[in-house]
Amino acid sequence: MKRSKTTALLLMGTAPLLFTACQRTAPVEVQDGLYTSVETCAQAVGDTATCRIAFEQAKLQSADTAPQYSSRAACEAEFPAEECVEQKTSTGHSFIGPLMAGFFLSQMMGGNRAGLAQQTPQASPAFRDNRQGWLRPNGAPGAGRAGMAPVSATPDRAVTANRGGFGRSANGRSTGG
Amino acid sequence: MRRIGIVERGDWQAQAAECGFRFHTIDGARYWDERAYYAFSMAQIEHDLEDPSVEVHQMAMGLVDEIVESDALMQRLAIPEAFRDWIAESWRKREPHLYGRLDFAYDGNGPAKLYELNYDTPTSLFEAAFFQWQWLEDQRASGRLPRDADQFNSIHEALVDRFAELASSLPPPLLFAAVRESEEDQGTIAYLRDCASQAGLHGAAIALEDIGLSEDGRYTDLDNTVIGSLFKLYPLEDLFNDDFGRALPKSGLRLIEPPWKAVLSNKGLLPLLWERHRGHPNLLAAEFDTGGDLPAGWVRKPLHSREGANIELHLADGQRLHSDGPYAGPSIRQAAHPLPAFDGHYPMVGSWIVGDHACGIGIREDDSPITRDSARFVPHAIVEADAPATFYA
Repeated sequence: MKRSKTTALLLMGTAPLLFTACQRTAPVEVQDGLYTSVETCAQAVGDTATCRIAFEQAKLQSADTAPQYSSRAACEAEFPAEECVEQKTSTGHSFIGPLMAGFFLSQMMGGNRAGLAQQTPQASPAFRDNRQGWLRPNGAPGAGRAGMAPVSATPDRAVTANRGGFGRSANGRSTGG
Repeated sequence: MRRIGIVERGDWQAQAAECGFRFHTIDGARYWDERAYYAFSMAQIEHDLEDPSVEVHQMAMGLVDEIVESDALMQRLAIPEAFRDWIAESWRKREPHLYGRLDFAYDGNGPAKLYELNYDTPTSLFEAAFFQWQWLEDQRASGRLPRDADQFNSIHEALVDRFAELASSLPPPLLFAAVRESEEDQGTIAYLRDCASQAGLHGAAIALEDIGLSEDGRYTDLDNTVIGSLFKLYPLEDLFNDDFGRALPKSGLRLIEPPWKAVLSNKGLLPLLWERHRGHPNLLAAEFDTGGDLPAGWVRKPLHSREGANIELHLADGQRLHSDGPYAGPSIRQAAHPLPAFDGHYPMVGSWIVGDHACGIGIREDDSPITRDSARFVPHAIVEADAPATFYA
């Protein structure tokens, strides 16, 4: 027999997700970034004001959302010792917990679609643990790491200076042959 | 080899929709056409197409060493100087390739003649590997084809196997890119992503136009992650000409097809093959074009033309034909060997190479002796010579 014993598709067939070419409206995307400074953020998103606001917002939430420990030793078991300090929440509750080491910025990107207002970015503090992982609050503050979610974004990734430099030679034609 | 009318599957359009095959009809005209099929004998397939494909592939691969070490040959192939070292280095490292398609003129008698090699951005893949296979299954099940009808088509298995071989050598993350507005190209990368994921190699899709370039000269996705490996259904020579192209050699980006494919997906390979294998039964005489009037009995093709564009034919009987297109630059000449006509249809046999194996064919036929982007994909089957010519069931 000269042919494949069987053929199957895993991804195709759930077609609409994959074949957007014929229904082109730029998809709204969420762009997440983890930054250790306003500067790296500004380089990445090209908007210093947004990054500064995000940083300030994150800092404000920091004490209220940080993992809380009753002792320095308990905190140092999971976070770098130099970052485990006594802090106070906005309601005055004292605890030992890590300092914010970066901030997480989540933006709704409307592509370049005209008429779609840029959405307000969502910012939150980010904490670096002893295993070089990053955590951010998942909305349910609690003792220790319970209220934290891992951040999958890599901090301060390569800063894209430009897009759109590929594809012009196609001149609108199909490029396969 | 015969062209045989056959009843269409009543639900083929629904099936196409179900498996994401959107470009079966292009601008209102059929591209997938199953109102007929080409019937081959096993000997025609194995002796006339499969074995010569392996041989031509090996002859072509045998030339790469020589070309990448020769500035004069790189010059003849119009490969920009800035990319020559990078191309040569990718060959020295034997960066792996995925696939290619050899286009043959073949009428069922005598040797198939090589028109060209599409070794960088071959398409018509999904329809050959998957939809054609499904067609055979269905037509056998419905009794319109004999139960033992076969097909030269293990392309799907070969692709999945090849991706499994590539998986460990590709720096992550892997992305698949094609120009945004081409439905056909987008469909092709969707299929390749599917094959890769069946081999456990996962890669996201990105529009070619969305690729970014960082200040330190690396390519990024929309999330600013540095792209490790990129399958690009986009010609290497076009990448070279694009604004971002000059960053390629230092970017660290691993490409599929790899840079060295630029020396094979170039019609300048045809005269080089002919010089080294003069008289080979599967090759047509070819030479670099010196310009001027094209003599009778020759065809002129730009080094990088695709989809049958900018082809000029001056047939032995004096008849002249030419196709328009956007390609310019240096050309080659190839001895005219018109496609055979079957009931007014001109089939070209695309023979697929995955890794280094010949693993199937797909046939596109046009109403003109020049196979253009208007060509239709017609399925094929391997049947006994005495099988009845038409089946209604």
